[in-house]
Amino acid sequence: MAGERRTDAKLVESETTETDAAAGAAVGLSAVLFALAVAALFERVSLTGSLFGVGTVTLLGGLLTALGVAVVAFGVGSRLGYVETDPDRSVGLVAGLGAALPWVVVGGSAASQTLGLGTAVGVVAGVAAGGAAFALTVLPCEDLGSTLPLGCLLALTGLVFLSGVIGPEWVWELGWTQQAAITAEFLIPASTLFAALYGGWASAKAYGGFGARGRHMGAYVLVYLNALSIVAFLLILVAYVAVQGLPGLLNGAELGLGSGPQTTVLGASVALPVSVPFVMNGVALFNDFQGVLPAIVGTVWLVVGAVVLAVPLGVGAALFLTEYAERGRFTQVVEVATNGLWSTPSIVFGLFGFAFLVPRFGNGKSLLSGMITLGFMLLPLVVITSREAMLSVPDEYRDASAALGVSKWQTIRSVVLPAALPGVVTGVILGVGRIAGETAPILLTMAGGTFLPGSQTVDVLGSFQFTTAPPFVANPALMEATSALPYQLYALISAGVGASSNVGNADEFRWATALVLLVVVLSFYAIGIATRYYFRRRLRHT
Amino acid sequence: MAPVTDALNGRVRGALTARLRRLRGFVDDTDPPALAIVAAMTLSLFATLVGFLAVSDLTIVPFVAFATSTAIGWVLYQEETAYTIALMMTVSTILILGLIIVFIFRESVPVIRYESATAFGVTVPGLRMFIQPNWDAVSPPIRYSMVPMIHGTVMVTLIASVVAAPLGVSAALFLSEIAPPTVREVIKPGVEILAGVPSIVYGFIGFTVLGPWASDQFQTTGQGSYLFVGIVVGLMALPTVVSVAEDALSSVPESMKSGSLAMGTTDWQTMTSITLPAAFSGVSAAVLLGVGRAIGETMAATVMLRGVPRLTEPLVNVFYGQETLTSIIARNYGEADGLQMDALFVAGVILFVTVLVISIGAQYIEWRMHERLGGEI
Repeated sequence: MAGERRTDAKLVESETTETDAAAGAAVGLSAVLFALAVAALFERVSLTGSLFGVGTVTLLGGLLTALGVAVVAFGVGSRLGYVETDPDRSVGLVAGLGAALPWVVVGGSAASQTLGLGTAVGVVAGVAAGGAAFALTVLPCEDLGSTLPLGCLLALTGLVFLSGVIGPEWVWELGWTQQAAITAEFLIPASTLFAALYGGWASAKAYGGFGARGRHMGAYVLVYLNALSIVAFLLILVAYVAVQGLPGLLNGAELGLGSGPQTTVLGASVALPVSVPFVMNGVALFNDFQGVLPAIVGTVWLVVGAVVLAVPLGVGAALFLTEYAERGRFTQVVEVATNGLWSTPSIVFGLFGFAFLVPRFGNGKSLLSGMITLGFMLLPLVVITSREAMLSVPDEYRDASAALGVSKWQTIRSVVLPAALPGVVTGVILGVGRIAGETAPILLTMAGGTFLPGSQTVDVLGSFQFTTAPPFVANPALMEATSALPYQLYALISAGVGASSNVGNADEFRWATALVLLVVVLSFYAIGIATRYYFRRRLRHT
Repeated sequence: MAPVTDALNGRVRGALTARLRRLRGFVDDTDPPALAIVAAMTLSLFATLVGFLAVSDLTIVPFVAFATSTAIGWVLYQEETAYTIALMMTVSTILILGLIIVFIFRESVPVIRYESATAFGVTVPGLRMFIQPNWDAVSPPIRYSMVPMIHGTVMVTLIASVVAAPLGVSAALFLSEIAPPTVREVIKPGVEILAGVPSIVYGFIGFTVLGPWASDQFQTTGQGSYLFVGIVVGLMALPTVVSVAEDALSSVPESMKSGSLAMGTTDWQTMTSITLPAAFSGVSAAVLLGVGRAIGETMAATVMLRGVPRLTEPLVNVFYGQETLTSIIARNYGEADGLQMDALFVAGVILFVTVLVISIGAQYIEWRMHERLGGEI
């Protein structure tokens, strides 16, 4: 039958039929269910309450049942020839496994828990249900296979909610030594979420008329949803931290001429026109508003130190690998080592700094050890990105320069390096964003107190001094433990509320610290990405 | 055996003679004064390194010598000096990896000796850390078992991979094959920024928001569960999977894709039957690297877990989160000394070796893929 239909399938299918509209509506219904499930999961919608005059669970159950019936109807309608579709012989093994998985869970838990038959029977029932669903998916024609098992699953879930077998008060005690239970509060939204995904996929396939186009539709719905969710997740994350952190950050903030602290700009002493005590103060007993200035300055110096160490080393190494060395054993070893360094966990860098650097710099945690540790972390990233940038410089440039009879180093200095500069700069900025937020390595190598007074803000440039004993140069600021934003946040979390009572509202203080950290780190990323755009557009224009 | 060692000896000797010949060539080609400068730089830098390793106050002396000789070389023989500096910088990357290996292994030796156990009549150092699940640093018998932490890391990594692998590969497909250019320009930086959110911020949100919520939902005593640490760590590993997998997918030659499309397939058919199989090894390398990231994730785990090193009961109880290899280091480094500190180094060694093996494996897979597709590396 399917073969017959395929012969008169149209090359262009543009007109919208009622079936398409119905399938489109089913996709929309899945989207609504998905949104409801997410809202219920995060307790934006109460399960015990009601929506549009209907109890939430009843509403979810009703919608799920409707969606399930619709999905089955598409399949059966297509099979019986009421709907014009173009199904393949079979759905395929991947979709079969996808459909079998929820049935294993449903069959197993229904037999072992709802009916109380024990674990062994539960496993058998789960495998049986999953096997049946798998066979039902894979064996029949594609239109039935991709709708029947899933539609039944949706309808069953809906009916379970409608009939009140699983109501808002439902709890499944797992009976484990460490007490845990699965509550309706979690189960209902979570199962609705997955059911909505399956329903959306099946109805999108129906919308596409099954076959290659249907599979294309079904897959695209999921892929687009995934991409959208990732972006939504990022936005929600940033917005949440911003909303929570702003009150603490703007505590006592003032805007107006002369309201800020005195600073020296070009030799003249001026008062800044804004005052944000949270980022301009330290912590002191008589401060009106407490702040995190020492931690911000600590972070800045850490980043500066790491960049000063890692960028020349990394660019030099990349230069050697791309311009001087012949491809062979040596370059291979360096590549493996760089990539290995790149994936080494940050806490291992911390341990290394603790064992290697700390004993060599006065046996105590110090800013210098932190700088070098972070520099080592940054190094592989600089090597990798600089290498990519140098490799993408066309060989014609080098040949043209060499044809002028200049030496290799002159070619590198005046042709390769300038051409690779944009890539190197972007890579370095992005890398810096990454290390600026690292906590683990500085935890073991440089982190000192949590609530530093403003007077302990590090001043590296002003602390250089010469001594008579070797090593003749000393810088106490580099040799002292200090604070940095990520560490400050960690210490605030692990210290609990009691220890931080001297900052007034501890919760506000913490969120504000998180916000400042996020702003600092993300601004590196923003600058990096903007630089890349700038250079790319300039390249396109020239 | 003998022919094998002979062949090996022969190869080593061949390589050495080749090196020597090249060195001699360099010596012959270079001016004697330039050669002297290069030699001075190399020797003084080497002396600096030795001094630094020996914790000597006089390290500054060879360092000043190095700086001076470099400055002189830069003015008089820029070509040779630049070459030497670049070479030294390259060597330093390998050196750093070597130093990490040496130092974290060295620190972990005492506790490995302490935790020796006898198996089949042979005393194996460190074995007792892996055959009993008890970590007790305070009351005798003092035991430093790695089993609870390995269990925790495995649980977290499994859950994280379940989150990161499908979402990451799907997002990579979207970015490299599906998205229209304008959408791509928005989502790609978004993924990059997601990679930049500091782990402690994730941990903080997990600790203040997710933790209480999860303990309420699953009616557990106290907060901290492998399930949610796994999910958060999975989200953190996601950008790594996306960017590496996207590279792999877009390195599939365009001609293969258009060939398939010319047969009248849909985009999705081309993806599943041409692009994904061709890039399969690259995509699996991406997942592997994501797993490596998940294993090494520290701060989110540290603040979200309970910090009691023991196994969960039963072992599959993901609603309780005790301790992972990373979090035990971050939590205990402060009060630890002696054997306990060394035990933390053992956790570091396990992490380092696992992740290094994963990294090398992923590189090997990627290299194979490039070889097969015939693209440039």
